[in-house]
Amino acid sequence: MNTKALRYIAIIAPIPVIMVSLLLGASEDITIEKVFSFLFFGDLTDSELIKTILFHIRLPRVLLVFLTGGILAVSGSAMQAIFRNPLVDPYILGLSSGAAFGAALALYVAVLPIQLSAFVFGLLAVGLSYVMARKNNQVSVVSLILAGIITNGIFTALLTIVQIVSDPFKLQSIVHWIMGSFHTASWYELQLVILPAFAGLLVIFILRWKLNVLALGDEEALSAGVNPGRIKISILIATTMASSAVIAVSGIIGLYGLIVPHIVRMIFGVNNKVTMLMNLLLGGTFLVIIDDISRSFSGFEIPIGVFTMLICAPFFIWLLKKTNTGWQ
Amino acid sequence: MKTSFLLFLTCVFFLASCTNFNRVQSASDTIAVTDFRGKEVKIIKPAERVICLIESALSGIYMLYQQNRVVGVPSAIYGENLYQYYSRLDTRVLNRALPSPGNWDFVSIEQVVGLKPDLVIIWSSQTDAIESLEQFNIPVYAVMLNSFSDIYKEIEDLGILLDCSDRSDSLVALSKGNMETIHKNNENIKSAYFMWSQGITETSGKNSTVNELLKAAGVINACNLFDEHVSVSVEKIYDWDPDMIIMWYNEKLDPVDVLNDPLLQGLRAVKEGKVYELPEVFACDFWTLKMQYPVQLISKWAYDSNLDTNMQKQLVNKMYKQLYGIELIN
Repeated sequence: MNTKALRYIAIIAPIPVIMVSLLLGASEDITIEKVFSFLFFGDLTDSELIKTILFHIRLPRVLLVFLTGGILAVSGSAMQAIFRNPLVDPYILGLSSGAAFGAALALYVAVLPIQLSAFVFGLLAVGLSYVMARKNNQVSVVSLILAGIITNGIFTALLTIVQIVSDPFKLQSIVHWIMGSFHTASWYELQLVILPAFAGLLVIFILRWKLNVLALGDEEALSAGVNPGRIKISILIATTMASSAVIAVSGIIGLYGLIVPHIVRMIFGVNNKVTMLMNLLLGGTFLVIIDDISRSFSGFEIPIGVFTMLICAPFFIWLLKKTNTGWQ
Repeated sequence: MKTSFLLFLTCVFFLASCTNFNRVQSASDTIAVTDFRGKEVKIIKPAERVICLIESALSGIYMLYQQNRVVGVPSAIYGENLYQYYSRLDTRVLNRALPSPGNWDFVSIEQVVGLKPDLVIIWSSQTDAIESLEQFNIPVYAVMLNSFSDIYKEIEDLGILLDCSDRSDSLVALSKGNMETIHKNNENIKSAYFMWSQGITETSGKNSTVNELLKAAGVINACNLFDEHVSVSVEKIYDWDPDMIIMWYNEKLDPVDVLNDPLLQGLRAVKEGKVYELPEVFACDFWTLKMQYPVQLISKWAYDSNLDTNMQKQLVNKMYKQLYGIELIN
């Protein structure tokens, strides 16, 4: 199949996947047949309940999952481009450990809203990495990555302290938050996310072609009229803002922002003008499929972070062996 | 490409704005209790479809003989340890026909809403799930048990919400009466170290239900820290040097393992062989009115050496008969 056809499939795929996802769920009484009868044949048996479940439980969840998947993939791709490093993901500067600490703290003291605390501490962690890496008004990529590792260490230690002093109930909640889940997704959570997420996405989308110039190196970018420092900072702020917003409501979804950009690159090549949209669409679609599995797999929900690893990792390895593209 | 992106953006903004179109205004309320968040829970009539996601509260509902109102249970009751009891209390559990939309950690909001409950009983620490459920105007009774008086309050509240206050009042009176008859030794009061199933270093301090359990049994909690659940060093246990060690039910360790642990050989309780294990989680669940059973056991272990297996069986059978109305063990 040629790339153009694949691109069209990627653009169209979210619609059927979202539609099918709306038919799947844990409630035993709301069967696929009932939903079909309600939607297409106007059968009003249990209509209030079906409406509630479809439009207030499943739809916000599917949209939130889609947005989260898309943003993690776009942010990962953008971060890999500005750092020119294939091992980078949105968490490299301490975002995940900062957000996890923020959420744990909010669960422990029960004064701050969890999402707000996770968002603020996620941003704080990335800010700390940046301040630590900055020297003589310059920020080198290597020192930024090292600072990110240190920040991760600091916030992981703080998180451990909170976990030690928490009672078993709170500890369990912290562990579940860290594993990532959408089981309480709602329109309210989607509303919380949507502004920072789309502001970040918009910046990345506008600057995506400049990422191609950055790939040539800083000096070449300068000679092409692109200020690499300014572009990197703008992208960094945009990805951090968008990722923090989604992580604050979803918890940590490990390695997703690393693996999906690689998969997209293997299929569609390295042109950021194309891959950003593909990351958004495929990242969102894949995560919706994974979430469908996690909420339909058994009677209880399995955290989505578990499935992203179990499903994405073998798929990634298979693609890596099958293709010779990507970063090679 | 730009057009597709903008189209996508518009769609999501549109869908995100489609909120709050299904809120129902609640009618005049007639039954009200204050839950453990301090929030007033109001329902129009006694709850007929109850989802209880707390095993100890579910146990309370069965003690109140109101199991027919239960339409959802915590998934924990289908685990091996609890299933053997609940399957005798309810044929729907026996046939695994009662849905389990969650537990003390995870809740499937969709499954809960799908069961159309008129009351959900859940831990107050599950704040996200409570918030989600209350968005759908589902009354939520949130529970957090820190003392025996909380357990009495929970049963009394359930009595009001399920329209069986006579039964709840008599159960509370019976339990309080049983607790008062437990032998208290005013001289030579012994100290006990409580060991959770995670290991010898896991215990509970003065601000805990464990402390109240030990106090009710007439012994002093050896752990002088204040935490509900705390990890301590073995050295600290030597500092306290308790007269006895009470083990919570443990699948991996028996009292003999503790008695033979080389690290603990200097402890008075170990030297004198005073290490005891609470026999089973269901019978010794001290977050229910069954707290009287572990209190009786600990009291007898501390001050009365004559407690054989037969006596234990008699004690527990009598308690089951009083609380559940049937004998749960053969």
